[in-house]
Amino acid sequence: MSGIIEVENLSFSYSQRVILKTLSFEVTSGTFLAIAGPNGAGKTTLLNLLCGLLKADAGHIKINSSNITSYPIKKLAQIVAVVRQEFVPVFDFTVTEMVSMARTPYLGTFGFESNADKEIINEALETTDTLQFASRPLAQLSAGERQRVFIARALAQNTAVLLLDEPTSFLDLKHQVGIYDLLKAAQLEKGKTIVAVTHDINLAAQYCDEVLLLGGLADYHIGKTKDVFSPRQIEKIFGVSTFAGKVGEEKFFIPLGKFAKDSKHITSKPSNGQ
Amino acid sequence: MAEFLTPKNLVIKIVVCSAVLAVVMCLCALVGTQRISLENVLAGPGQGPGENTDYEIFVGVRIPRVILAALAGAALACAGVILQAILRNPLADPYILGISSGAGLGVIIAVLSGITWSFWAGSPITVFAFAGATLTVWLVWYIGHLAGKSQVTSLLLAGVVINAFFSAVIMFLTSILKSHQLRSTTLWLMGNITEKDPSVLWVSAVCILAGILGLFSICHRLNVLTFGQEEAKGLGVDPAKTRFAAFGLAAFITAIAVSLSGLIGFVGLIIPHAVRLVFGPDHRQLLPVSAIIGGAFLVIADTVARTIVAPAQLPVGVITAIAGGPFFLVLLAKYSRKVSWLK
Repeated sequence: MSGIIEVENLSFSYSQRVILKTLSFEVTSGTFLAIAGPNGAGKTTLLNLLCGLLKADAGHIKINSSNITSYPIKKLAQIVAVVRQEFVPVFDFTVTEMVSMARTPYLGTFGFESNADKEIINEALETTDTLQFASRPLAQLSAGERQRVFIARALAQNTAVLLLDEPTSFLDLKHQVGIYDLLKAAQLEKGKTIVAVTHDINLAAQYCDEVLLLGGLADYHIGKTKDVFSPRQIEKIFGVSTFAGKVGEEKFFIPLGKFAKDSKHITSKPSNGQ
Repeated sequence: MAEFLTPKNLVIKIVVCSAVLAVVMCLCALVGTQRISLENVLAGPGQGPGENTDYEIFVGVRIPRVILAALAGAALACAGVILQAILRNPLADPYILGISSGAGLGVIIAVLSGITWSFWAGSPITVFAFAGATLTVWLVWYIGHLAGKSQVTSLLLAGVVINAFFSAVIMFLTSILKSHQLRSTTLWLMGNITEKDPSVLWVSAVCILAGILGLFSICHRLNVLTFGQEEAKGLGVDPAKTRFAAFGLAAFITAIAVSLSGLIGFVGLIIPHAVRLVFGPDHRQLLPVSAIIGGAFLVIADTVARTIVAPAQLPVGVITAIAGGPFFLVLLAKYSRKVSWLK
């Protein structure tokens, strides 16, 4: 089965600094993939390449078997939706106005939503439980509520692929879990392919099917979360020792520094870079 | 069920606002140094010229002037809406990109060179103002795109630098003008609506309305562009193309407005904010409503300007600045809690 996203020998650098080198992987339709790795490993850069915002130096990305560069901007926005890190707009758009903009790639000359568009927008508002504050300006919402609005917008864009850049940063535990539940529901009920950049390996282990662990340059690992996430791998990529446990199928990891109370229980010992 | 802006809803708002504008225009056309009565105006032209002077003044002098003021107000308000959106800056106005200084320089060159020919019924001042404004805007656009990757910041910087440079040249040239030249130039720089040839008026009307219609067709893309170019691309909008179209059309209608009426400040800055405070930031609604309210505002300001010290006339720019400030503050006090960037 060919993937909805195919990445082959992808390389990218900012002026002289190489960020990604000969990266290849494939994402099958309907998969929830996490992209994890330390700061500066190129996670957000990869996300920007996957949505066509950046152009690769070498290699290529295919979406639905066609090269990403062959898509007009409008057509690509009908296949790939992006949720970037949370921001507050310059002007005070309401939640409805914000979510309605998801339909921009489908609108005609003067840009008014059809009844079908409105139904899709309403459904996205209901799914994300944001209908209750639909007429409020975005700036009046809490960070968690705002993030739900951005996800509502991405859902209303009605795309096969959903890309997210750290969707749970700045959120408390309840809202983190709420966002991942929403995303998982979109995957299971709507068959969406979801690619999320994340720093939270435990949430990734619980919710994602696969993980791409980026360690910088050509050092990357992709596979089922339970195969890729191991104390040794995490210690190698992040340079942090962890205590690993198991609840059911998936492991969980508690990062422990040398002054941590339970540091004597760590599963992986610092390997001095070896 | 969420509430959406529908075409029907928008048309109703536009019709109501247009009706208010029409009433304002008619009332303002009745007011002036020469008192005219509504009864005489409604009586029609009569048998021949000179029989009903009230009607002739109303139709021949006052109506063209209020139409001119409405057009200039609409163009400036729309240009303000557009530039605030594409520069993502609530402080932007139609003059921020050098249009004012370019047009001003054109006018001073026309006055200094003593050119008296007229082109298509426009005075040399009108023609030079239009040419100066247009050329300067393209210069700003060109420099802004040479300067760097962040086009919005580069554009703003290029506009500010060229404005400052041309303003200095204008001050230098103003200081060597003869006194009779100085008066017409100063009046123009302060914003001055005067009667124009009907053909100039109608062609300007068609150009401004066509420009506003063109801008209206990209308003849904401008909504997205206010989030920045990454977001715009993600939602299927080409930021470069949209910005180019918006900038070109906004500069075009501003250049026409400026060449007709001189430099009228405040309208392009305050009207978009006032309308946004009341109607919200959706550009599909903000643009047409701002056009109508901007038109009405300038018609009223011009009426005050030509009557307050009658028989003399004040430059309308003085009135817009004096009245616009407090008017905006009242709106701000009433609605500011709804607007996050004002906190």
